[in-house]
Amino acid sequence: MEKKIGIYICECGPNIAEKIDIDKVINAVSSLEDVKVTKRYKLLCSMDGKKFLEEEIKKHNLTHLVIAACSPKQHEQTFMGVCENAGINPYLFQLANIREQCAWVTEDKGEATEKSIRLIKAAVRRVRHHSPLEKKEIECSPDVLVIGGGIAGIHISLQLASSNRKIYLVEKTSSLGGLITNFEKIFPGMQLTSDVIKQKIYAVQKNENIEVFTESEVEEILGFFGNFEVTVRRKIDDEIVKFNVGAVVVATGATLFDPKETSQYGYGKIDDVLTSIEFEKMNLSGKISLKNGEKPRSVAIIHCVGREKKGYCSKICCMYSFKFIRYLKEKIPDVKVSNFYSDLCIPGKSYQKFYEQTKGKNIDFVRSVDIKVTKKDNKLNIEYKNERGDKKNLLVDMVILSPAIEPREDASKLAEIIGISQDEKDFFAEEHEKLGPVSTSKEGVYIVGCAQGPKDISETLVQSEAAAGKILSSLIPGRKIEPEVKVSHISESFCIGCKTCISVCSYGAITFDEKRRISVVNEVICRGCGNCVAACPSGAATIKHFTFNQLYQELREAIQ
Amino acid sequence: MSKNEEKKLRKKAAILSAKNGIRMGIIDFLKKSMERNIFDAVLIPMRVPADDSFTYVLIRDKNLLKNAFPLPPVMSIQGGKAVSSITRLGKSNIKIAAVMRPCEIRATIELTKLGQTNLENITLIGIDCPGVLPLSDFLNNPEEGMRLFDDAVSRWDDRIMRPVCQMCDKSSMIVGDLHIGFLDAEKDSFFIISNSQKGSDVIDKLNITPQADISSWQTKVEKISEKKHKKREETFRELKSKIDGLDNLLDTFSQCISCHNCMKVCPVCYCRLCYFDSDKVKHPPEDYLERAKTLGSIRFLPDTLLFQIGRMIHMSLSCVSCGSCEDACPMSIPVAQIFSMVADETQSMFNYVSGRNLEEPLPLTTYKEDELHEMEDTHG
Repeated sequence: MEKKIGIYICECGPNIAEKIDIDKVINAVSSLEDVKVTKRYKLLCSMDGKKFLEEEIKKHNLTHLVIAACSPKQHEQTFMGVCENAGINPYLFQLANIREQCAWVTEDKGEATEKSIRLIKAAVRRVRHHSPLEKKEIECSPDVLVIGGGIAGIHISLQLASSNRKIYLVEKTSSLGGLITNFEKIFPGMQLTSDVIKQKIYAVQKNENIEVFTESEVEEILGFFGNFEVTVRRKIDDEIVKFNVGAVVVATGATLFDPKETSQYGYGKIDDVLTSIEFEKMNLSGKISLKNGEKPRSVAIIHCVGREKKGYCSKICCMYSFKFIRYLKEKIPDVKVSNFYSDLCIPGKSYQKFYEQTKGKNIDFVRSVDIKVTKKDNKLNIEYKNERGDKKNLLVDMVILSPAIEPREDASKLAEIIGISQDEKDFFAEEHEKLGPVSTSKEGVYIVGCAQGPKDISETLVQSEAAAGKILSSLIPGRKIEPEVKVSHISESFCIGCKTCISVCSYGAITFDEKRRISVVNEVICRGCGNCVAACPSGAATIKHFTFNQLYQELREAIQ
Repeated sequence: MSKNEEKKLRKKAAILSAKNGIRMGIIDFLKKSMERNIFDAVLIPMRVPADDSFTYVLIRDKNLLKNAFPLPPVMSIQGGKAVSSITRLGKSNIKIAAVMRPCEIRATIELTKLGQTNLENITLIGIDCPGVLPLSDFLNNPEEGMRLFDDAVSRWDDRIMRPVCQMCDKSSMIVGDLHIGFLDAEKDSFFIISNSQKGSDVIDKLNITPQADISSWQTKVEKISEKKHKKREETFRELKSKIDGLDNLLDTFSQCISCHNCMKVCPVCYCRLCYFDSDKVKHPPEDYLERAKTLGSIRFLPDTLLFQIGRMIHMSLSCVSCGSCEDACPMSIPVAQIFSMVADETQSMFNYVSGRNLEEPLPLTTYKEDELHEMEDTHG
């Protein structure tokens, strides 16, 4: 077919016009092969500009379009839209960036003009080798997989479930609720936890749009935003369940630092040294007592256990330690409680008040370092150094340790299954600490609650609602998504089956055909990043719209 | 078991007798292994019937082992290619011992990482390598070549070997499952050293006492490797001054006749169809006419340097400096030396040594956040 190429040069107001001799450029490129029309225009991206382009394409029956203007990052999509409206395939278009790459960076007008001519020639040469690419639309699932049935997972499930959106809630243990079901009350309001959580669990169980899998684990997640294929294994009957979802929420929570990792607190060796969660459970059972059955007369709460080792403040331990003081005072009014801390963390508008109201008679706060717990007669002896560095000791009946919050052991396994990354402390990594606090590096995968880092219940719920908002606005039932068109292709006759491409593909888009011993690209999953093309030693992988020939033709003209 | 203990357990060494020379000693060891069904077959070099060259032969009849040449004077076929031929599509269904030089084993390991060999039923047996003669030298007079080679090996003198062998600092590198060391063993014995569980099992099954002290062998290996490493640096220095810059590079490869022999014999050039043999690099005639017009002239066949550099980019991270390409070059271009030099540089950028072990991932398949900073901001 005869090619009719149109070249349009944008003045970009004074941006390009003042720095580049556009008439000279027109002179140099208008006689290139197949070029039918070359024109300048003051602002192509304006409404008038777009209309002008559309009319030009139709008037001259153009088959290919070259625009010399700004960076493709700014207006490539705009001009591709113009092509579509004018009835030519948007991939039969090439944008030469003569603003950022010439006008703005090259001082000398003559040089900038020469460079522009080269870039436009290169674009013209390239566009002649372009092939039309067709857009595809694929159905996507509005359903959501929520991993973890703690408060974070329950809350987001309730936010999202609706008659046209099914939620699959997968919980590793036999019941919903997570860590907080061990708590009698929650700070700072000291409401009964059971009031809060039982209601929510009931709501989940009653909701017919939420399917709960308890004692189940996610085994495999393939695919991409809008189309994840999930495999869940139910441990109880070893049954495999498969379903499709459009988004994944990781709400797997966290665990506590094991005080056995450091011998100084005698945990695991000396009776009546408990972790915070053990104390919560004891308190919930209704009886705070020592191993010998007696009530403790004096209790030490040691804050910041493992903080130094982990290298971060776990944010919630001070607050729940104050809650413990309340538990103790309620049940054993004359108990003496001593808090050993290195720094107190009492942030926000309501926590300070909780702290002030907790302080009182028989309650001490001791800033201390080098704490060591040993057994002495029938008591527990706490040796420590106070703020001035003096060696001191205190005898108590019971020691409660408030250990750091740390990622779950199986976090890395899950990270691998989902294909998201972990931060340096092994929590799941958010896309951006401030700008993308619940998104991850993988589109359609969100993290909420302590799986992302230590946080209290209200912060957890805020995150759940934030992620719910993201999902509700991006995954609309009935709406289709457009997968990438510029995808990779692996040639059967070149591929030798070394699988190098598979190991560099970040999207899991390449599979190995064992029968033919070649790699095969799934065009729906491929995002066209080009990793496989760069890594393929055989030149078997190519990427549409960036073929070797297209690049070669462009380069040849540019560096001639 | 700690990693160290495991290593210790794996690195066993035994002395085997070689009353009738090292060659017969190795053959005896292989024969015994076949008799005890440790291996069903042996892949080993053998003299071709015309007596003027050597090739790999897969021996299933143990009585034929007597003709084997574990250390042939030339490398006409790179062993990595032989192993790949057998296991390219999956594991071998019989147990095979492959006796090869260290560079051939390293090529095999690279090919394994690239999915082109399967080592499940293969035991790789390496051997101290004295180097090999240039193929063309040997072919001119095979009898004389054999005599010169034997004489050179007896004195461990590498001066008549290929240039790339003279500067090989990995000639005794333990890379296979077993390694045969005879640099310092008494003349009528050699060491067999295990380097993997597979290798250690062979020693166990043969009921030989694995308590040989190889420290003197190791000292000698170190000394030789050091000497050769110096030679390597010296050679590269000279080479660099000869090929530095585009003009020199063009001069160096200007004799290239585009036969692509270097690619065909290269063990790690494993592509089904070389990109440079494909239509993708055959441009339309008007393209050449236009280039001639712009440049004033154009040579035919064009793009020989593009081929060399392209091949280098494709395989330098896996290049094992085996020298096959140089042997195969009819124009005597020092391809192997140039490629070795570039390979040393690219591999060291990733702290990678091709074929050193199976566990190290190929550099292009791994991403480390903290690497290649020297490549950042090169455009100022």
